[in-house]
Amino acid sequence: MRDLFKTYGNLKAVDRISFDVNAGEVFSLLGPNGAGKTTTVEILECLRPLTSGEVKVLGMDVNRDANKIKRRIGVLPQDFNAFDLLTVKENIEFFGGMYDKSIDADELIDAVDLREKRDEYFKNLSGGLKQRVGVAISMVNDPEIVFLDEPTTGLDPKARRDVWGVIRSMKTKDKTVVLTTHYMEEAEVLSDRVGIIDHGKFIAFGTPKEIIDKHGSGSRCIISNCDDRCLAALQGQWPSAEKNNGEIIIRLESKNSLPEVIYTLDRSGGNYEQIQVTRPTLEDVFLSLTGKKLVGVETEPVRGKKKKKGRRGVD
Amino acid sequence: MANRIIVALKGEAKGFYRNKSTMFWTVAFPLLLILLFGAIFSASGGTYDLYVQDLSDSQASHQFLEAVNLTGSVNLKYIDRQANLDQYIKDNSLSAVLVVPTNFQMAFVPGAGNNTTQLTMRMDPSQSSSNVVFSIVSAVANQANLALAQGSNVITMGRADITSAGFNYIDFFIPGVIALTTMTTTIFWMVSVMTRYRNNGIFKKLTTTPITRMEWLTSQILWQLFVVFLSIAVIMVVGMLAFNTHMSLTPVAIITIVLSSALFSSMGMIIARFIKEEEAASAAANAITFPMMFLAGIFFPLSMFPSWLAAVANVLPLTYVGNALRDSMVYDNIASATNNMLVVAGFTVVLFIAGILFSKWKTE
Repeated sequence: MRDLFKTYGNLKAVDRISFDVNAGEVFSLLGPNGAGKTTTVEILECLRPLTSGEVKVLGMDVNRDANKIKRRIGVLPQDFNAFDLLTVKENIEFFGGMYDKSIDADELIDAVDLREKRDEYFKNLSGGLKQRVGVAISMVNDPEIVFLDEPTTGLDPKARRDVWGVIRSMKTKDKTVVLTTHYMEEAEVLSDRVGIIDHGKFIAFGTPKEIIDKHGSGSRCIISNCDDRCLAALQGQWPSAEKNNGEIIIRLESKNSLPEVIYTLDRSGGNYEQIQVTRPTLEDVFLSLTGKKLVGVETEPVRGKKKKKGRRGVD
Repeated sequence: MANRIIVALKGEAKGFYRNKSTMFWTVAFPLLLILLFGAIFSASGGTYDLYVQDLSDSQASHQFLEAVNLTGSVNLKYIDRQANLDQYIKDNSLSAVLVVPTNFQMAFVPGAGNNTTQLTMRMDPSQSSSNVVFSIVSAVANQANLALAQGSNVITMGRADITSAGFNYIDFFIPGVIALTTMTTTIFWMVSVMTRYRNNGIFKKLTTTPITRMEWLTSQILWQLFVVFLSIAVIMVVGMLAFNTHMSLTPVAIITIVLSSALFSSMGMIIARFIKEEEAASAAANAITFPMMFLAGIFFPLSMFPSWLAAVANVLPLTYVGNALRDSMVYDNIASATNNMLVVAGFTVVLFIAGILFSKWKTE
């Protein structure tokens, strides 16, 4: 594997962690604020010295080859800012000028969908647009690896999804993306693999699916507004079911669990309002692993790709 | 490498041009100083109004007043002989009036009994201009006395400035303003850029690119030199147009300006290294530049300072910048200018190295 790097950090913030990132994948470091995500990526970006351990980026050592590494990576730092009184295009060109070779600014502006704001001063842009400029700048040297440090923190849900769109499009350009986030949903939606980090240590590692299967509590079925007959029947069958504000939550342990729930409900002859089945999320995993919630829980649901509208009329 | 420096330089230039208020004050501050101080002190170079009541109205009094007039330093204005002098002074708020007595002619007649006559100067001693006028009139009276006693002009009077070439305050002041402008422009620029870029994350972003700290600093110093020389050009043109000053940018002056730009940029870097907040750092820069401005002999020559204060001035870099510029641009004293320039160079080397060592580029 060519694009391989490892950290064996021994900082207080990062406690002897090791991982590889494969070429072309989106890898997320997920964890609450102060978990050590930023410290880890800033070591990879050659911004911070490491106390001990061995870190290789693109096969090069971060201590010895920092300058060579910097030419081949792109970075969106946490709390990114560009020059207030330069336009979007000028800012991209400015940072492009720092490298020997750079991509045309207009091409990048198209890539992050900022054509209309091309000649706007950076200071007049909203937070989401500023982050998109940052993403464009992180790609200005056509890097092999792009580091995005909390690219959507502080953005509203719409702006966040726009940034996600831009990150997804990077993947189609065969770039390796290393992302840090404290939004579970973001990691789940964007990444091929995730490392959940807390107090400088990995507490889970793998694809989102693997992690959820391993540490998650399985799918759950939520039945709301059950009457007494329903309730009695369900609790008879699943004594461990949680009751919560008139809802009853049943963990689905196997494929057959859901039909059983429905059969039980039907047989009880009682009334209920609706049945809802939820997939476990990384949020649940984090909760079950650490017993605490992550900050900034995303409340808005992720919308999948829009369904194609069926064509009406002539065929 | 050169390419990165030029890109960084262009970026700063665009930002400067678009920040109209910064651009305005960079140029307007030294101009205001020159126009203000120039106007205050240039009054001493002009002529004074002298009101005269010639009670004698004789050939002798006419000759005497003509002699006073010929000094070119006073502008004679006659008061009618019949006028009530006290009332006239009151009505016209005069500060100096010369009264030639009726017996003035008599004093000039050889062999006449009473050979003295008393010229009276009614004046307000609190007004420096009336003192000047008094001394002019006295000088002419002395000359007349001598002429009477010996029958010939033994001593003649002329007016001249202290320095032979006719330098005045504004000539002294403009090189000081250039030194001052170099200091404030570079120190405040460095302090604000370093604190701002550090706090808003631009430094962090720059650190992720191949540009090095030296390349970035070079671009900043080059940009500062451009701004400094732009202000100097404006200062010199205004000095020439408004006050008819005569000075030129000599090589020693140019080297001194370049050195002092690096010197005060480094000082700004050191301030920004220790004070993280932009506003606190610029307050600290004020606390350093403001006393230095007054103590370094920018507004008044060091010779006017009490000796203990002059001793303080001798350890301030700005003193030597001002001296080097004055000596080379105005007094044409190249030896002294070079010595002062070498002291500036010493300060520059020390502060530049300290600035590089202190200002960290990497985050720990």
